[in-house]
Amino acid sequence: MPIPPEILASIDLPGVLDGLPLGVAVLDPEGRVITVNSALERLTGISREEARGVPCRHVIRSGLCFRRCPAEGGADTDIVNRNRARIPVRLSAVPVRDALGRELYRLDIVEDLSALREMERRLEEPGGVGGLVGKSPAMERILRLLPAMAQADAPVCVIGETGSGKDSVAEAIHKLSPRSREPFVRVGCGPTPPQTLEAELFGRRAASGEIVPGALQRAGAGTVYLSDVGDLPEELQVRLVRLLDEGVAVPAGGSAPLRCQARVLASSGASPEELTRLGRLRQDLAYRLGALRVDLPPLRERPEDIEFLLAHFLEVFAAKFRKDVRSFTPKARRLLLAHDYPGNVRELRNIVEFAVMVCTKPAIPPACLPAHLLGLLGQGGEE
Amino acid sequence: MRPKRILVPLHRDEVAPRFDLAGEALIADVDPGESGFTAEEYLLPQASAEGLCDLVLRKDVDVVVCGGIEEEYYHYLRWKRVEVLDNVAGNAREAIARFAAGRLKSGEILFDRGAGHAR
Repeated sequence: MPIPPEILASIDLPGVLDGLPLGVAVLDPEGRVITVNSALERLTGISREEARGVPCRHVIRSGLCFRRCPAEGGADTDIVNRNRARIPVRLSAVPVRDALGRELYRLDIVEDLSALREMERRLEEPGGVGGLVGKSPAMERILRLLPAMAQADAPVCVIGETGSGKDSVAEAIHKLSPRSREPFVRVGCGPTPPQTLEAELFGRRAASGEIVPGALQRAGAGTVYLSDVGDLPEELQVRLVRLLDEGVAVPAGGSAPLRCQARVLASSGASPEELTRLGRLRQDLAYRLGALRVDLPPLRERPEDIEFLLAHFLEVFAAKFRKDVRSFTPKARRLLLAHDYPGNVRELRNIVEFAVMVCTKPAIPPACLPAHLLGLLGQGGEE
Repeated sequence: MRPKRILVPLHRDEVAPRFDLAGEALIADVDPGESGFTAEEYLLPQASAEGLCDLVLRKDVDVVVCGGIEEEYYHYLRWKRVEVLDNVAGNAREAIARFAAGRLKSGEILFDRGAGHAR
């Protein structure tokens, strides 16, 4: 049954478009943008006021538009948004005609495929979860735990030595969570003036009265990751406790609290108990951050992962550098297995990257390993 | 002030909406404050961001005026001390003229929102 014209005329069309989870651009018959919905504003980073009257190819900026018009049929393509990110999308077009069949408008519909592509990529990864790989019982236990932790909204504290993969764990939790379509914003709490850190984390009120967004506002309903949380000044720790309790943050120089939906993840080289004992972390913050906790074991405590990681990174870098390097010679392998990796996975990864880069043979000999490593192991470069 | 060399990736006569998909580029030598400029069009063997970055370096370009550009190419050009004005939409020669007049910035939309030069 057709909708009566008076009902059609009374429909709040912009409200309907803004309620759609897909990006929509309403175009005139010349291909100029009449309006875009809020999902497309978020996807492209271009506001509806800026987009109005601009040819659609300059707003959507899809790869498909360089080959043919989406009106000729939709396709999977990509866009480059205002924030310089390339986003995989499905682009399709729907003509809007009048009763006589004349085309009045066209709707270009843009579906963000990032989550789908990310899922495909994750399924193809050997470790399966984010960029994390590991076959030792300790790592397998962590990899099993992460999807469950990702579903919760409570803060997670990731503890591990330098290079053990704290950042990767935080990213994996975000990517596995229902917040994965929202931003992941990292804030390094390391040596930074407290005022700068305050503005970076909570935002600040500019002289004009405008609020300059901090990480908590930029993350929206996504995730804010505080690395080296033990370096956070005490006054900011107090404010972080309030944020975790009440979900509000007051920007620097402001007085009105702003509601924050972002989830907080934190990392540290030492456990919250140790940081509290050293007086670097407030007890109340330690309890809140320690609700969910991931303790990453150093590589020397899971030697069974070393060989696996060597093979994994060899494959990764051989593909990246397009080199036919397939293995390590037995002596190079023995040397690599004998090392205790104080820099953990990052150090192992860097060693393999260097070796693949300089190696010109199918098997990496000791001579292709970094000189400092050979020095540490008391070896010359000869096979 | 010394003249500046500007590169604009082209899509027809417009600033290409995408840096990585532009198959041609316009290179102009501009004297800041002067309205006139000389410009030459370059055709790339194929559309590619790497090809354009290579052209930028080979031709000693000072400023790139473009539409959408990916983070890695943006930072690469900045690292090579090339100024990048991105998210510019409009006619390429008009963008160069505005740059020469010191009135072009990133995110500028130069289209006449009322006129019909869309398709």
